[in-house]
Amino acid sequence: MKKRLLLLSFLVASVFAASAQDTTKADPPLMISGSVDTYYKYDFSKHSNLPTSFASDNNSVSIGMIDLALKKKVGKAAFVGELSFGPRGQAQSIPTAAGTYDETNNSFHIQNLYVSYDVTDKLNLTGGYMATFMGYEVISPVGNFNYSTSYLFTNGPFQNPGFKATYAFTSKVSLMAGIFNDTWNYYTSTNQVNTFGAQLMVAPVTGWTAYLNVLTGKLSGTEFDLTTSYQITDAFKLGLNAATFKAADAVGTGGFTGVALYPQLAVSKDVTLGLRGEYFKTKTGDYLTYGPSPGSSVIAGTITANIKAGPLTVIPEFRFDNNKDVNDGFISKSGAPTKNASQFVLAAVYAF
Amino acid sequence: MAYLYNMKKIFFSLACLLCAQIALAQKDSLQFDEGNNYIYYRVIDKPSLTADTLYKRGWDFAIAFNQSAKPAKGQAENTLNTSGKFLVYTGVSLMKKEGGQINYTINIQTKDQRYRYRISNFVFIPYQRDRFGNMIPIPGIEVPLEKMTAKYGKKETDNYLDQIGSFCISTGVKLKSAMDKQPAAKKAETIKKVSTENW
Repeated sequence: MKKRLLLLSFLVASVFAASAQDTTKADPPLMISGSVDTYYKYDFSKHSNLPTSFASDNNSVSIGMIDLALKKKVGKAAFVGELSFGPRGQAQSIPTAAGTYDETNNSFHIQNLYVSYDVTDKLNLTGGYMATFMGYEVISPVGNFNYSTSYLFTNGPFQNPGFKATYAFTSKVSLMAGIFNDTWNYYTSTNQVNTFGAQLMVAPVTGWTAYLNVLTGKLSGTEFDLTTSYQITDAFKLGLNAATFKAADAVGTGGFTGVALYPQLAVSKDVTLGLRGEYFKTKTGDYLTYGPSPGSSVIAGTITANIKAGPLTVIPEFRFDNNKDVNDGFISKSGAPTKNASQFVLAAVYAF
Repeated sequence: MAYLYNMKKIFFSLACLLCAQIALAQKDSLQFDEGNNYIYYRVIDKPSLTADTLYKRGWDFAIAFNQSAKPAKGQAENTLNTSGKFLVYTGVSLMKKEGGQINYTINIQTKDQRYRYRISNFVFIPYQRDRFGNMIPIPGIEVPLEKMTAKYGKKETDNYLDQIGSFCISTGVKLKSAMDKQPAAKKAETIKKVSTENW
């Protein structure tokens, strides 16, 4: 009985304590957000065929990731740390299982780790390891409509460590410019911080945003990217991503060009249907992409549904890819080269 | 008997909890207008002050309250309008984060010895997490407050209604101070001191 009384007292106290915190005019609280995702994939060739990122395991109930992001802003200064641990907590202080301090054997799993400062209401400075500003799709399954990813996403950058300044001329126009490490995605540079990146954001009308992006460096190559989406009605949204990439001379010759269209229609409060149609072309040369051979192309169509139940989204998806050439990488059920690949995915994503 | 005594304590605690929750339901301060739209509406008597004086004070309040938007004269005499936005949060405790923003308009009308104001046209703009871990508005999605229950369910809507009610109440207090020409009353914070003389 005493325990019950104590529990009740605690509940009452909690209500008042929570109320007291809510009414305080203070900085926003520490924000914790993230997601978990899991999926089942069946490739109709009975083995994995598609070279694009994630949803890779055939005929298996597999996991995506647990994504955990922390954000805190005090006054004008903020930080974002997304996912677990870093070098200070690993090889720089703790030996690996082999008993060595091995930087190459680490698994940091950092998606974002940066600090930022609002110099004025319009000017923000940010530095650290950041998700890339390029492209339509992202690593987090919460940020994507389709569960499988596009060729443009897979072949573009995921992260760009560096320093950037963003100036908002108005709420409808902003410009970002920054200097980033010489290679994409890695936690450290090879030995230079010489990749230039810029982004012009325009929002011509309500619901329509467009990002013109460029990323160019002696080692990372040059990519131009247009990412735009337009919520045309309450139910219908249209997205577009187009990009062209040229490999750096130091790496090789070639690159890729592609365009992807993302129409989405909300058919009810909880169900949205969407299509991704992508054309991805590889340039001639010796630079290899996650896609068809240099000088070839692929057309990919993905039909996806997002069925929401509160924070949970169930994603059934069917995808069909058609390479230009029979020798572009797909293998049929019988083991022979084929132009086509198709798969079904059922994924579940929980966002918090 | 001891058991009954404890039961009384439990019921008393439950009653306290219920009262606390009722006291915190700020959404009850909102009403529906003739068009079935949410509104926070008050009429305040202000004896001995003219309509012009009250209008001037209302105008000064609007400028100070939202410095990013200039107030505008309304169509009716001695009427002014201003608009703004504020953040609303979803989740509790460690899981609390920006759920969206509420756009609103404030309408103030004065006459001799009286003024009235309404806070209305509430529109919810949901936020989503972007690739950098920030919560940002979803472009093109605007949900009038009246349609929120259908789109987000009662629990989520009630949470936002409470925060809107709380915002309206605090705005009303600030407006009253401006109309009274008195600085906003600060909570008297009593400093707890301990006597170290007698021990």
